[in-house]
Amino acid sequence: MSLPPERAGSPADGAASERRPASVARKLGAFLVSTKLALALLVAVLVCAVLGVTVVRGARAGELIFATLWFNALLVLLAISAGAAFFSRIWRRKLTLVSVGMILFHLSFAAMLGGIVYNQLFFFRGVLRLTEGETLPNEQPESYDYVERGRFFDFGRLKGTTTLVAMHANYKIDGSNKRAAYELEVGDGPSTTRKVIYVTEYLDFAGVRYFCLKEGYSVLLVLSGQDGREIYGAHVPLQSYKQKDDTFRYATGTAAEEVAFAFPPPPAPPRADVHLAFRPSTVKERDGEVSLRVAVPGPHGGPPVDHTGRVVVGAPFEAGDVVLTPREIRYWVGMDVKYDPGLTIILASLCFGLGGMVLTFAGRVRQGARKRRGEEPRATPTVAAIEREST
Amino acid sequence: MRAEQVMFWTAVALYGLSTVAYIFGVISRSEKLLGAGLVAAAAGFLPHVVSIGVRWVAQGVNPFITIAESLTLGVGVSMLLFLSVQLATKQVRLLGVLVAPVAFALMGWAGTLRQGPSSELVPALQSAWIWIHIVGASTGFGAVLIAAGLGLLFLLKERRQGGIYDRLPDARTLDELSYRFVVGGFTLYGVMIVSGAFWADQVKGIFWNWDPVEVWSLISWLIYGIYLHLRVTMGWRGQRLAIYSLVAVVAMIVSYWGIPFSIETFHSGFRIEH
Repeated sequence: MSLPPERAGSPADGAASERRPASVARKLGAFLVSTKLALALLVAVLVCAVLGVTVVRGARAGELIFATLWFNALLVLLAISAGAAFFSRIWRRKLTLVSVGMILFHLSFAAMLGGIVYNQLFFFRGVLRLTEGETLPNEQPESYDYVERGRFFDFGRLKGTTTLVAMHANYKIDGSNKRAAYELEVGDGPSTTRKVIYVTEYLDFAGVRYFCLKEGYSVLLVLSGQDGREIYGAHVPLQSYKQKDDTFRYATGTAAEEVAFAFPPPPAPPRADVHLAFRPSTVKERDGEVSLRVAVPGPHGGPPVDHTGRVVVGAPFEAGDVVLTPREIRYWVGMDVKYDPGLTIILASLCFGLGGMVLTFAGRVRQGARKRRGEEPRATPTVAAIEREST
Repeated sequence: MRAEQVMFWTAVALYGLSTVAYIFGVISRSEKLLGAGLVAAAAGFLPHVVSIGVRWVAQGVNPFITIAESLTLGVGVSMLLFLSVQLATKQVRLLGVLVAPVAFALMGWAGTLRQGPSSELVPALQSAWIWIHIVGASTGFGAVLIAAGLGLLFLLKERRQGGIYDRLPDARTLDELSYRFVVGGFTLYGVMIVSGAFWADQVKGIFWNWDPVEVWSLISWLIYGIYLHLRVTMGWRGQRLAIYSLVAVVAMIVSYWGIPFSIETFHSGFRIEH
């Protein structure tokens, strides 16, 4: 907007130009604390949530909506806007049970937001896979199949070692079958914790929590020469593949398909390509039958020769000039290892928020009781009067 | 399980009878038919409770897990709340005109989805949180259903006069009562969501996973959160909120039982990989 030439540079103009940004700031402030903005954001979150379970679903909804920066920014903006809108109105008002409840409820949102942000900066999540009897150092990233962590997380936070003592199938507590339970030992020097964890029970060691995730069979496969001399041995973890009849087949491979593997694995020179499947015994735990398909190099460097067959656990399987023995069956387990320093704040905020809702509800009930007793004046308006109130 | 089946379908039949009595009671403005509707609803509630009890005893674990069981419990708690309101005051006898048809429809739906008893709870469900979660969900649903019923009464009171409508409380009382039931339902739904968050943290170490059932619960909760803000901060009253409460309860039914269970057999976050 241009000014009239005769007023340009006048003292009054200077004052006006100072007032203008203040006015914009005030308008911006008023917009940020307006209930309409908070409600609009609430509706926007609602629409996104509906889209995330109707138009796009599952992992795609996470990729396109729930895990995106813009959606999380929307949530942050909603928390700030709702808090600002609420506290700008409640400020200096008389405290009642209802208003205290509302304050607690809205404060809990701010606290929860703080907890989530703090947690995002320092959290750790890793999948630790162990075979029975195996121990891995906690602070080495290589110990984990999968790692996700906050920007400021320090691996030094994960102290000591973790040992899978045993995997208990059909573990029962007070007659309830927990199906799979992992007996763990987590220790750091003299400080050691040993505990059996199952789906509703986790282990907490110095703020790091261990959760059951998945489990499977592992075959101790021993490679020997024809003279009986052992050359190499290793535990081979098996994947479980769901069959059409809802049963499971346990075999070597990736999560997607069954594949053979080089044995011994690199860097040792491989002697055979092995595909292995295990059928558990219905009578005896950790026993059963192992099917093998072993490809060994042909004589004089010729094409590989396949040897297929089936042996019981403990029995040798001859494949050309080598012998493979599935010596024993153990379990492997995958655990979710989690460090969430903001979790206490988040869960406490949820409780405070709920407490706020309960207080507000109690306050409303008390207000109603007062009205019924005639302690609070009330008119008996018509429907039209109520409608007028709303406009 | 025959006794359970008989009790269940007896309850459905009586709720159906109650529905017919309430609808014709409203059409003909007959107090007697409304009374009959209430008696049929109360009579249906008894075999309803017995069918849940018999199933519980027969399978040995709580019968609130499958969608049919969840529907049966939700309707049972709603009917308990409805009958309690009827005991507390005779002024809102018309409330059954919404509650009875919804109970009949949901129970009929549950009847088509019923499965044989399961002898064991999956390990993830063997948690004390299940009780808080279930109580919050079913009572919350009952509360918002009553709130919607009161909203309907407000609309009826607004449009019709004389006879059964004159016995209804004044418009402001209906409006206030509906609001209070929404606050109660919102709080109880909050109990469900918060207990679910604690439960998920116990099982998976994550309090919120954006799985479909969680998101649908959040949607219902936000819908009632918006209701409360429209009333408290925007000053909405009366007709608009009465209509809103009726639309919201439909959204609640869809989100609670409709969509998540048709897509997912249970919270995907609770599935443990083999």
